[in-house]
Amino acid sequence: MSNVIPDVALIDNSDERAPLVLVLDCSGSMLDDGKVDLLNEGLKTLESELKNDPITARCGRVLVISFGGDNNVEIMGDWTDAMDFTPPKLVAGGLTPLGTAMKCALDEVEAQKVQMRGAGVSYKRPIIMLLSDGEPTDDWQDVAADCKSAEAAHKVNIMAIGIGGQANRQILGAFSAKGALNLSGLKFKELFIWLSRSIQAVSRATTGGTVQLNPVDSWAQVQT
Amino acid sequence: MEWKVFLACAAGAHHRASAVPCQDAGHYQAIEGGVIGVVCDGAGSANQGHAGAQFLAQQVCMEIARARKDERWQDGDGVAARALVLAVLQGARNQLLENALAQELSLRDFACTLVGCIATAAGGYFFHIGDGFGICRQETGQTVLSRPENGEYAEETYFVTDETWQEHLRLTPIPLLTRGAVIGLMSDGTAPFAVDRQRTGFFGPFIDPVVNFLRDASELDGNRALLGVLDDEKTLSITADDKTLLLALAG
Repeated sequence: MSNVIPDVALIDNSDERAPLVLVLDCSGSMLDDGKVDLLNEGLKTLESELKNDPITARCGRVLVISFGGDNNVEIMGDWTDAMDFTPPKLVAGGLTPLGTAMKCALDEVEAQKVQMRGAGVSYKRPIIMLLSDGEPTDDWQDVAADCKSAEAAHKVNIMAIGIGGQANRQILGAFSAKGALNLSGLKFKELFIWLSRSIQAVSRATTGGTVQLNPVDSWAQVQT
Repeated sequence: MEWKVFLACAAGAHHRASAVPCQDAGHYQAIEGGVIGVVCDGAGSANQGHAGAQFLAQQVCMEIARARKDERWQDGDGVAARALVLAVLQGARNQLLENALAQELSLRDFACTLVGCIATAAGGYFFHIGDGFGICRQETGQTVLSRPENGEYAEETYFVTDETWQEHLRLTPIPLLTRGAVIGLMSDGTAPFAVDRQRTGFFGPFIDPVVNFLRDASELDGNRALLGVLDDEKTLSITADDKTLLLALAG
């Protein structure tokens, strides 16, 4: 008797999601040194990395929020599955309403959870990644406290990352219990490759497991 | 009624790549006119999760078989059955704790989930802590499920080794069984392809060919074939988790 069972359908019937919100600084200073162009390139790298892994492409769910202009916060399109993610073209100019943008990210995460629960979709803990090269030009203290509370309540995982020497790492660090890291040079590409791998790790995390993210040395500045 | 039971555990890509042993374990035991089965999934965050899963699957099976001789199993309301399962799990936990302390470890180091069943023609129970699925499908298609219990996030669940394990023990009655009934116990790695999208029962295009094959297979051939399915490379694009499936066929 053969030991191969014929005609068995092996398809994925689960609807698990790993949500990611990118909160991106598009203030005027992002024009310096071509930072916004490098950020746009980095997002394209993220797109291809997410799509290259079948589990991540199916489980990853992405939302981009930009902040800049005349204290503008813009949600750039709807939540999209990683397999359908097309990065928006970011344009820099204006102020840095970082607090409002993070408040928007927290609200979007909770709204997305409600929607997923309503649809019977299970999900991993969402990640919010904040990238900024400066400091807020709006009220940020209450929102930062809300972010830390949300992390402490396991509602979300927040990563705050400073870009360049003008980033106020102390303020950025107030948005996460883990503090902030600084991007080494302008290694956006390396950062987004790392982020994609992190989403992979989260997407594949086994039940009850603690997600061990990869080391950040490929893109993070060593503090002295 | 005669029963055929098959069991396979396959390590996921996650653990293969890092040379970590499969964290799942399963065990079954024939009883007069029926079967007892247990599947455990060791927690990824516990360094002895696989050992906890192996110990509890075997121990709980054995002790349920012993406890079954207690007349109280026959009480229809499930209260007595729950008390008996609680006593068995408490005993198994105590033994696991002794083993852990002997190795200067804690119960938490052996964390695992557990889904089990005791079934005869007269019916029976699923007993369940944490995730994974227990499914009973009658010949008519009527299905009873013991669903997973997760925290808010998909990667969070409850373990036999938790302090609050009694609060998370769930018993689900299995009705009278006739020939053609299929009982499945599985870890959460198997569920994405063995359970339907609405989570109402087995996914037919997966389970029907498997059951048709196993009905005519010897235990050895059937277990090998079942392992081949769980190890199929198509499962690698579905899950990186370990996969275990126990199937009991009433004939």
